Amino acid sequence: MRRGLVTGALLLPAAVLVVVGFLYPYVTMLVAPAADPDPDVPGSLAAAITDPYVVDIVARTARVAGITTLASLLFGFPVAWAISRAAPSRRALLLIAVTFPLLLSTVIRTFAWIVLLGGEGLISRALQAVGLAAGPVQLLYTETAMVLGLTQLFMPLLVLTAYSSLAAVDPALEEAARGMGARNSAVFARVVFPLALPGTAVGAILVFAGCVTAFTTPSLLGGTRNRTLATLLYQEANTSVDWSGVSAIAIIMTAIVLVVGVVMSRVSAIGSTR
Amino acid sequence: MIRRPIFTLITAAAVVFLFFPIIVVVGVGLSAGTVLTFPPDGLSLRWFAEAIAYEPFRSALWTSVVVAVLATVLALLVGVPATYAIHRRSPRGRHVLQLLFLSPLIVPELVLGFALFQLFMVDAGLDALTALVAGHAVLLLPYTVRVTGASLQQADPALEDAAAGLGAGPLTTFFRVTVPVIAPGVVAATMLSLLTSFNNVPLSLMLTSRRVETLPVAMLEYVQTSFTPMIAAVSTLLLLLTIGVALLTERLVGFQKVFGRSAT
Repeated sequence: MRRGLVTGALLLPAAVLVVVGFLYPYVTMLVAPAADPDPDVPGSLAAAITDPYVVDIVARTARVAGITTLASLLFGFPVAWAISRAAPSRRALLLIAVTFPLLLSTVIRTFAWIVLLGGEGLISRALQAVGLAAGPVQLLYTETAMVLGLTQLFMPLLVLTAYSSLAAVDPALEEAARGMGARNSAVFARVVFPLALPGTAVGAILVFAGCVTAFTTPSLLGGTRNRTLATLLYQEANTSVDWSGVSAIAIIMTAIVLVVGVVMSRVSAIGSTR
Repeated sequence: MIRRPIFTLITAAAVVFLFFPIIVVVGVGLSAGTVLTFPPDGLSLRWFAEAIAYEPFRSALWTSVVVAVLATVLALLVGVPATYAIHRRSPRGRHVLQLLFLSPLIVPELVLGFALFQLFMVDAGLDALTALVAGHAVLLLPYTVRVTGASLQQADPALEDAAAGLGAGPLTTFFRVTVPVIAPGVVAATMLSLLTSFNNVPLSLMLTSRRVETLPVAMLEYVQTSFTPMIAAVSTLLLLLTIGVALLTERLVGFQKVFGRSAT
């Protein structure tokens, strides 16, 4: 009996913190549009979902997040594999190199792209110098800029998760496949990739969800013309008096993140049972 | 091993892609000119002097440090006992509890920030500093539970039983066995929490007031309105600070504890 009381006392403060600081306010906010007593307020969920302006922003958010996730996979997976097969001393160094940027503020990591992507920036000048562009190229405040910034921000997450699954793959399996006559491409497609799929899928969820919810990078590199759900939410929360509209955007964002999470965990479950 | 040159090339390109922007920030921070350009026109430390003297950044830095320290302490005070209970006292519904404590991680921070703004600042009338500390503690709790839990999971619970079997009382067992087992996890969680809170933008953005701002929020607002190398100088100083924290963590518990095991 006393043991149960002590255990409860150890758990209670954390439970109170999560309930008061997360569950209660979050659920209250999510049900706000449904409970809205004023029917004249146009900020309901249905209104938000059918508003072409919001639909456009949802599409942009999904597009940018999707391309960034794809870029992180194409770039990050080979990196993870190279790290997992590197010599131990170099492996530790590479892991630190990939992890370190995660410790820096997003403002710092995004700021450089403002310098590089402007009309007078290094990339514009380089494109002109090699003759790929006739005049200054303004890449800043475009979706391309957002994808570049977000890939730099989130690719390390994919590398780290893919690495942890790849490191768990027994190299003997690859050798066995090769010993039985499989080519390198077959070893990769039939042995390495399926085994690393669960971890890689988790990494892809983290990247996609990170992109959908990122605020700093879209607001600095996308500008006011390329709003995403996160920057729209912030703008609405600051300027609008009607918070049920903000809640509607919050519901859309939460739903996207949860649905993607469920779908990807199914994919990773399929990968791990094969 | 397989098609090695291609993989080496991609890895090298990725490292350049990850680090080049950081080099650009340092370069711009050392600029002698007044416009944002890389490579910088001339080298000087003038923007470092301006950044250090800039009053809004000084007060924002103080706010950030206070919030990071208090929120980390709060998250550890509630999180470490809960994690210990989950892993060592096998309470009923431990998986549900674990999920509950990790749940703040799965929702968008900006949305959580808005929800907390409504509850803490509008409804409860809390001041920005209190709201920031409470909000950050909620955000840090999952990290604390995960990193400390990883340490506890690795250690054999039989160690504690063995100590008890050898005649150690509950307090002796706790201080001589459990504390050394949990300490590296707590140190790693502390470092991760301090950095996470210190760098946070989305949550802080929603919980600041005109007078109380954290440093990343102040920097974000500055970047949106002013285009001078001063922000790069501040960023370079923060970069040095982060390297310091990372080296300290490496010394104390090993860098990989912070991310390596918690990433799986």
